[in-house]
Amino acid sequence: MMLLRLISWPYVRKHLLRALLTTAGIVLGVAVFVGMHTANQSVLYAFNRTVDRIAGATQLQVTAGEIGFSEDVLERVQAQPDVEVAVPVIEATVQTGIAGQGNLLVLGVDMTGDRSLRDYDLEKADDTIVDDPLVFIAQPDSIIVSRQFTERTGLKLNSKLTMQTMQGPRQFTIRGVMNSEGLASAFGGSLAVMDIYAAQLVFGRGRRFDRIDISLHPGIKVDDARRRLQSALGSGFEVDTPSSRGQQFEAVAQVYSMNATLTSIFALFIGLFLIYNTFSIAVTQRRNEIGILRALGASSGLVKRLFLAESAITGLIGSTIGIGVGILIARGLATYLGTFFAEVYGVGEKAQEVSADPKLLLSALFIGVGTSVVAGWLPARNAARVDPVKALQKGRVQVITEGESRLRRNLALLLLAGAVACATLGHVRIFFYSGYMLNVLAVLLLTPALCIWLGKALRPLLKWLRPVEGALAADSLLQSPRRTSGTVAALSLSVALVVGLGGIAKASYESIRSWMDAALSPDFFITGSETITQRSIRFPEELAGEFRKVPGVEEVQAVRTARILYSGTPVMLVAADLRSLAERVRLQVIEGDGATMYKRAERGEGVVLSDNFALLRKVKTGDVLELPAPDGMVKMPVLGVVLDYSDQNGTILMDRGAYKKYWGDPTVNAFRIYLNAGEDRAAMRQKLLDQFGGRTRLFIMTNAELKQYITNLTDQWFGLTYVQIFVAVLVAILGIVNTLTVSIADRKRELGVLQAVGGLRNQIRQTIWMEAIAIGVLGLAIGFALGAVHLYYILEVTRRDLAGMRLDYRYPFAIAATLIPVILGSALFSAIGPAETAVRGSLVEALEYE
Amino acid sequence: MIQLSNVTKEFDGKRTVRALQGVSLQIRKGEMVSLVGPSGSGKSTLLNLIGTLDKPTSGEITLDGQLLSGLTDDQLTQVRRDKIGFIFQFFNLLPSLSCLENVALPLHLRGWKKAKASERARELLTLVNLDHRIEHLPDELSGGERQRVAIARALSVYPPILLADEPTGNLDTHTGAEILSLVRDLHQRLGATVLMVTHDRSVAESCARTIILRDGQVVEDINREPRL
Repeated sequence: MMLLRLISWPYVRKHLLRALLTTAGIVLGVAVFVGMHTANQSVLYAFNRTVDRIAGATQLQVTAGEIGFSEDVLERVQAQPDVEVAVPVIEATVQTGIAGQGNLLVLGVDMTGDRSLRDYDLEKADDTIVDDPLVFIAQPDSIIVSRQFTERTGLKLNSKLTMQTMQGPRQFTIRGVMNSEGLASAFGGSLAVMDIYAAQLVFGRGRRFDRIDISLHPGIKVDDARRRLQSALGSGFEVDTPSSRGQQFEAVAQVYSMNATLTSIFALFIGLFLIYNTFSIAVTQRRNEIGILRALGASSGLVKRLFLAESAITGLIGSTIGIGVGILIARGLATYLGTFFAEVYGVGEKAQEVSADPKLLLSALFIGVGTSVVAGWLPARNAARVDPVKALQKGRVQVITEGESRLRRNLALLLLAGAVACATLGHVRIFFYSGYMLNVLAVLLLTPALCIWLGKALRPLLKWLRPVEGALAADSLLQSPRRTSGTVAALSLSVALVVGLGGIAKASYESIRSWMDAALSPDFFITGSETITQRSIRFPEELAGEFRKVPGVEEVQAVRTARILYSGTPVMLVAADLRSLAERVRLQVIEGDGATMYKRAERGEGVVLSDNFALLRKVKTGDVLELPAPDGMVKMPVLGVVLDYSDQNGTILMDRGAYKKYWGDPTVNAFRIYLNAGEDRAAMRQKLLDQFGGRTRLFIMTNAELKQYITNLTDQWFGLTYVQIFVAVLVAILGIVNTLTVSIADRKRELGVLQAVGGLRNQIRQTIWMEAIAIGVLGLAIGFALGAVHLYYILEVTRRDLAGMRLDYRYPFAIAATLIPVILGSALFSAIGPAETAVRGSLVEALEYE
Repeated sequence: MIQLSNVTKEFDGKRTVRALQGVSLQIRKGEMVSLVGPSGSGKSTLLNLIGTLDKPTSGEITLDGQLLSGLTDDQLTQVRRDKIGFIFQFFNLLPSLSCLENVALPLHLRGWKKAKASERARELLTLVNLDHRIEHLPDELSGGERQRVAIARALSVYPPILLADEPTGNLDTHTGAEILSLVRDLHQRLGATVLMVTHDRSVAESCARTIILRDGQVVEDINREPRL
């Protein structure tokens, strides 16, 4: 501790800017980690809290994915001996049309039994309703809302509230106001309760429920009851605690979560290089000090511990600040993410507050400190190996010895050989990821050698540009490969990250565009909600026939999409008229016989899978899927695999006939409508709205609008990618500023001499600027190459483990070209401060500097 | 050639240190002067002020008829470029540049063409008897050889003033004597004004004039026949 105060602290104080820049590397890495995960957790927490508040005293819930089940299931559940109360529930999200109020979560419940599970805590109500729920039921326009909602909207008891329903806009009467605690505070207070039978009608459920909420007899263990109920109902139902809905939400949003983890790891990895670089340089600069310490009796172990303690403290400070910054980031991100999840996955809600998980924060602290200690380990070891006699002599040891270079080169070649070997065994996950790591490590080990080779190649060009300044800039790089290579490595990683992200964005856009052209051929898409992922409001299938009768309509395809659980993971079931679909849609066939598979599926002989489903769930043509349906598991052979990006977790394409047969659900989420050739689309849209808009809630999107909607969602997804790119570039800039600051300190005397022998300020500035640009060029060159490898792996990761998307390898030349001015400009910008420090310092001090 | 009038230099820190107090002196063109005094007497500060590496707190310095007061940093650099050559105790050669490149460096900074600068650098390296070491890096030379390269660099534009800060301080006696002999020889052949800071009495006595500083003031100014 005393040594830290006497030796380390004065050094840090003297090089405060450098210390801050080094710490900033960790701050950024930890902040990205905490920010992205906390935002994710906050949305999940908000979702869970809503689930929890809605659940009330519910101990178990019976569901069948999003499909729901017929009313008779309720009796079977109520008949179970463990069950004390079992009440049916319907949940739907509707728009109120009140400006600024967004969506209202409507809970359809059976008022006669539900109050034993949920406390409505009605503060003002018509006495007759409170006393007798049957009166509430008898008036199907009755609705109860939260006090928060009435305060926000200015509505009060007996006010009329218009909601968009399957029967068009319907007026409801507020017959109760719940206090703002408990149930009423769910969904940010935007909650309404109505009678379940009215809900069935207005939300198109027919004679079906979404789920059954259960409380058990006292003394019965939830796990035991769950097992018995599951066994009694069969595998077509899920019996679980309310909290399991949160786990399903997590599973649905896992692509985002993995993406966030990968970005954080990359950011921390770059931060690791910044710290390694700074500590390596610090060891070199403090050789004299280390020599004195050793001469005074400090053991090599003590010196090593001193440097490790410094890196741990750097990590601790950086992580602590990073956690704070991360929480701030999460505040901004959580709202965006809530909306984004709701739009992409159809679940999730805006997080009202950021909930930072202490475990996550502790992990962030450990990761930050751990990264810092790992980064500081090699420099600390080098410090411990300093020969006290040599250290007390003047001179520098920045150069990497030939022996060390050879060792690095040989090790890198060994790793590359390992990477090639792993690539041949790439189908095995462990070898695939090992190959990826070995490749990155090999390039990083080769960075000093590459810096020297590229630096030598660059020297004539720089010298040609400015004979003195250029040569000095190049020599500065060549002279100190250790100082340069750390930054170049960090910069290369950043560039590689950007190339990878850019490449995947480019490939994704191209693939999605090409899929949209193949799959989205109808003129109109009619849904019950303005977002296509919102499936809580459904149409009766008879509507298809009515649409068909409208003059100008050529064909109507009724589609039912619903999330079901496959092997415990939520996947998308798409039930459509496959004969019509096969005629109109030309999805690329990956496996199976394109000519027969749709016909066989139409006959109910099996299902067609999306490519991402097959890849993520490791299923192929000929395998048999077991799908949960009300009467037990339905066994469906896989007839083929097609390229389809309808859902990130994969889709199962099934004929509507088979779906209705096994799930007994005739409802429809969306209609795909084809018009006769030459029909005026705008006029037809208006005609459909006029004819049906008054009696059912419908949104009509044109082909172009739907494509634009999907493109916007893709933009939103890659909006996060652009944040990652920004972080990567920011870290790269930090690295360059750090290196140049160190370089200026390191070359203080050299720059002083340059001025002493007649160098003008501008000439000194130009030397530093050129050094910065040279670092940028080296980083770009190595980064572009590493990016090519990184892109290959990241596409593979996306295909195999993230999204199951088969994306073409296309190097993002445009992004690479954009990076050149960005990185070189940033390098130049980063050099301004250090260059000014160099020319404004005392010349006398510079010449005396050692 | 060099004129100082009532020059004072103070360094501000936790307390102000006055390194030079009202120093006035005049060095004529072609003189070879040694500047001696105990540590902290202000020798190097005086040399740095004359060399335009630093600015006085008060007083005036005139070099070759040009008043330095009021000049900007770049104007001072111009003065240094045209009129002053430096020889440092620790040579201050750039380790990544060859001898030729080190000597040619000030010429390149003046915008000389590469061929012309190289020709002049070769000429100077021959003058200091290092024509056989032209392409060597400083690390490959002995201390004496490095100082010769530094001297060649200081002479690159044949400046009228040559400032040397302990030029033999980092060399053994024999090499130091060789370097001193070289400086004296160049002084005689090129006619430059030489001001040399030294601790070494024999080096000081080899100059025709010795200025002694103590506590930032000139306490003695000795003119003598140089002892060779």
